[in-house]
Amino acid sequence: MAKELWQQEADWLSLLRSGDHNAFARFIDKYKELVFLCCRRLGLREDEAEDVASETFLAAYKALRRYRGQAELSTWLWSIAYRQAVNHLRKNRRQRQLEVEPDEEIASNREQAPAAALQAEEQQEIVWQAVDRLPRLWAMAVILHYREEKSIADIAKIMAARENTVKTYLFRGRERLKQMLGRAFGEATDVSR
Amino acid sequence: MLADRLNEDKFDRTLSQALQRHSEPVPAGFTAMVLRQVREVQEQRILARVVLQERLALAACIALAGLAIVVAAVFPEIAAAAFRGVTAGLTGQGEDLIDRIPLAVKALSGQWRLYSVLGAALGFAVYSLVELLVGDKATIA
Repeated sequence: MAKELWQQEADWLSLLRSGDHNAFARFIDKYKELVFLCCRRLGLREDEAEDVASETFLAAYKALRRYRGQAELSTWLWSIAYRQAVNHLRKNRRQRQLEVEPDEEIASNREQAPAAALQAEEQQEIVWQAVDRLPRLWAMAVILHYREEKSIADIAKIMAARENTVKTYLFRGRERLKQMLGRAFGEATDVSR
Repeated sequence: MLADRLNEDKFDRTLSQALQRHSEPVPAGFTAMVLRQVREVQEQRILARVVLQERLALAACIALAGLAIVVAAVFPEIAAAAFRGVTAGLTGQGEDLIDRIPLAVKALSGQWRLYSVLGAALGFAVYSLVELLVGDKATIA
């Protein structure tokens, strides 16, 4: 069964590399959420996110022939999306927004709920609101690590940063999240101590 | 210590689960839009390849013609010998004509007007070559 799946994946990859449109449509469907997630978390507006997402897939289409499986396909695409989004910010002289914390205005109405037992949906909402309040690079590292389950080495490749820098982003992001979510998750995890 | 560790692990787990449950909204028709762009890129690539082939063919014609003029003007003996060599095996009838070329060139040596025209033609050929190869008039954007 596993061998069959692997074979299907290999066939799909070879179709992708050959420029097959159906295979590429599947590729887009599979990874479009990831690309939009990257663009929006780096602070692109909705119209910008759509432009950069399509540029990302076009860049991937052009580069697919050269993809040799040296990294996971999702890691490879994350790195393209990240580069495209950062280049877009740089072009518009907005790369500084990667370092600073998002405007309080955005998060002002997103105070955590009381520590009562939270429904999964509420919990998810609160976590994302907290992640949105982190500086973009920290948020990116947190999402890649905790959501996408990428290794430090892979995150470093995606973000074109040193592994130690990624570790710092992750440590700081996690600490800040603990502070912010402490109240909301207090009863469940007692992390606010 | 162990309690702290457990809490840390629990926090990480809760964080992971909450982040993984999230589904990022994507605009409707996004896949179709990207596929349309991909097709446009492919068409542009094909068009660019055809234009490049045409440019190269035209450039080669101009370069060959220019080269022939230069050789005939500067090295009439070599040109005549080359023509003779090419045609000798095919037919002897053209020899008279070929023999006349260096003679005509010799007769015309010292005719600075002719050389000025030739120079201008060569200059134009070089300009055309540069324009064809690196000019942006025919660039497929």
